[in-house]
Amino acid sequence: MTTAATGNRSGFRQQSAKALETAALLLIIAFIVLPILWLAITAIKPQEKAYSTTLIFTPTLTNFEIIFSDTSVLINEGTDRERGEVGRNMIPNVFNSIIVSGATILIAIPLATLAAYAFSRFQFLGNGVLLIWILTTQFIPAIVVAIPFFTLFRNVVVFGKPLLGTQLGLIIVNMSIVLPYAIWMIKGFVDALPGEIEEAAFVDGCNDFQILFFISLPLIRPGVLVASVFAFIMSWNEFLFALIIGREMRTMQVALMTTSGARGIMWEQMAAAGLVVMVPIFFLAMFIRKNVVDGLTMGAVK
Amino acid sequence: MRKKRWVPWVLVGPALLIIVLTTVYPLLAALYFSFHKYRLRSPPQFAIQWGEAGLHIDWSLLTLDNYALAFSDSRFINSLQVTFWFTVISVALSVVIGLGIAVIVQKGGRLHTLTKVLLIFPFAVSPALKGYSWRFMLNENYGIYDLLIDQLIVGPINAVLSIINALPFVEIPLLSESIVWLGDKFWALFMLAMSETWGWAPLIALMFVGALGSIDEQIFEAARIDGANRLQIFFRVTLPLLRPVILIVTMLKTIFSLKMFDQVVTMTGGGPVRATQTINYYIHQVGFVRGLDIGYASAMSYILVVLLTICAAAYVSLVLNRD
Repeated sequence: MTTAATGNRSGFRQQSAKALETAALLLIIAFIVLPILWLAITAIKPQEKAYSTTLIFTPTLTNFEIIFSDTSVLINEGTDRERGEVGRNMIPNVFNSIIVSGATILIAIPLATLAAYAFSRFQFLGNGVLLIWILTTQFIPAIVVAIPFFTLFRNVVVFGKPLLGTQLGLIIVNMSIVLPYAIWMIKGFVDALPGEIEEAAFVDGCNDFQILFFISLPLIRPGVLVASVFAFIMSWNEFLFALIIGREMRTMQVALMTTSGARGIMWEQMAAAGLVVMVPIFFLAMFIRKNVVDGLTMGAVK
Repeated sequence: MRKKRWVPWVLVGPALLIIVLTTVYPLLAALYFSFHKYRLRSPPQFAIQWGEAGLHIDWSLLTLDNYALAFSDSRFINSLQVTFWFTVISVALSVVIGLGIAVIVQKGGRLHTLTKVLLIFPFAVSPALKGYSWRFMLNENYGIYDLLIDQLIVGPINAVLSIINALPFVEIPLLSESIVWLGDKFWALFMLAMSETWGWAPLIALMFVGALGSIDEQIFEAARIDGANRLQIFFRVTLPLLRPVILIVTMLKTIFSLKMFDQVVTMTGGGPVRATQTINYYIHQVGFVRGLDIGYASAMSYILVVLLTICAAAYVSLVLNRD
């Protein structure tokens, strides 16, 4: 009798603890998902419904049409007060983002891979200090890098125009954040690779470069791919350099700012542009899900 | 050994050269600029000159005015204070909420696993976009956050308060349902920190989940057998074991918070009345938007460099001394 009673009571306590935990989990999920969900919903709302919290609306792609077209787009078709919206034509901005981020990783990743391999496999004068120094460059505030490059690029003329406000200019400053980062990430992957295979190849008569290119590189390819994805996300989401050095050559991050018009920010257009910025990165982030913690902390938390 | 001396330098060389050019050059140049009167509209005469007589340094052109100005400029002092409070609030919220999420999510279960997968979501949202989406959702007329806060937090609290107020001699003022979040000095800064927390708490939770996973389950088992309850286990076992990771994560987040810029631009524009002007934002204003004063902007950014160097040194020593 008594045991049954205590059994019931502890069962009740256990159940209420479980219910509390489920409630907490649902709260966490809501906290994380709501801003993203709301952005997605707003992006497909017709303009007259975007400025309300209503969930009753007919989904539309008009907002995407507006941000990607360079002519005026008819909204509210078929109603008595048809209004047009001038297209914002963000296609060049998408290309700016792709070119800058793509070129940044195409330059940074091969160089970072070679450097990471050397740091992992060779003892050379000051390599430990050098590696820590590379880590600390990550703590330099971007604004300090931006100021001198801004004044420099105003005067450096490449292909007949100043580097300021060009894709090339932005790619160069992006190196300051992407390259040190990629070296550390890739070094982690090389470190994890057992050295015996390379030793065996050396015994078989391969020289250092043959070992690197034919033995080690193929083995660390997955790691290099992860680092590339990371580097791509970093330069895609980069804002301060894009604003100061990129200037009128707007990447998508800066183009988000152009969704404001006479009536303030056009939220439905901002949301649509935001989705374009977010969705590709979303898939890339899922791809490197397992490596995000290592990537953010450069392996400091394990 | 097989290794040839010159091989590593060939491999490291190109990357090192680019890192030096894109980080050391600007660091030196900004330092140099900071000792000059240098406005974009009137390019300066630099102290180091190459004349016919070779290298020549004109000491009279160097000045400490920019640094002196910084410490007497109320707007710069304000930006230091704003950055300080932003850092304190955002770091505290991110680490505490991150830890809470990690402890809850840690256990097995389908909903737990789903939540763990979702933790990566905010990582995909760029800071600039984060700022815009929060600004939109906090709008006092049509923002979903504004609606939810009024319905789920302010409403119930006010209901309780009005019951208490029904008692004689008690008159507690009700909470306002019409706060303009980004128009109020305190709330604007707080919400800026919240948007940062939204982005970081889940990632910090992921870091803690990894660290929790590497703790031997037998330690918890032993504590449970000794009769410790959940709270005791958390404060007496989990927290002490996580201490090194908590320190590292806190330091890392502090460094990121001190550099806050993107969301200030897209969410608050530094307002209302400079209440959210972080150091980075004010430097940007001085250097590129208003005064176009490169010398002064460089000097202020060097003060930021000093702050970050202290934090970075602390961080590196934490990481190196961990084991």
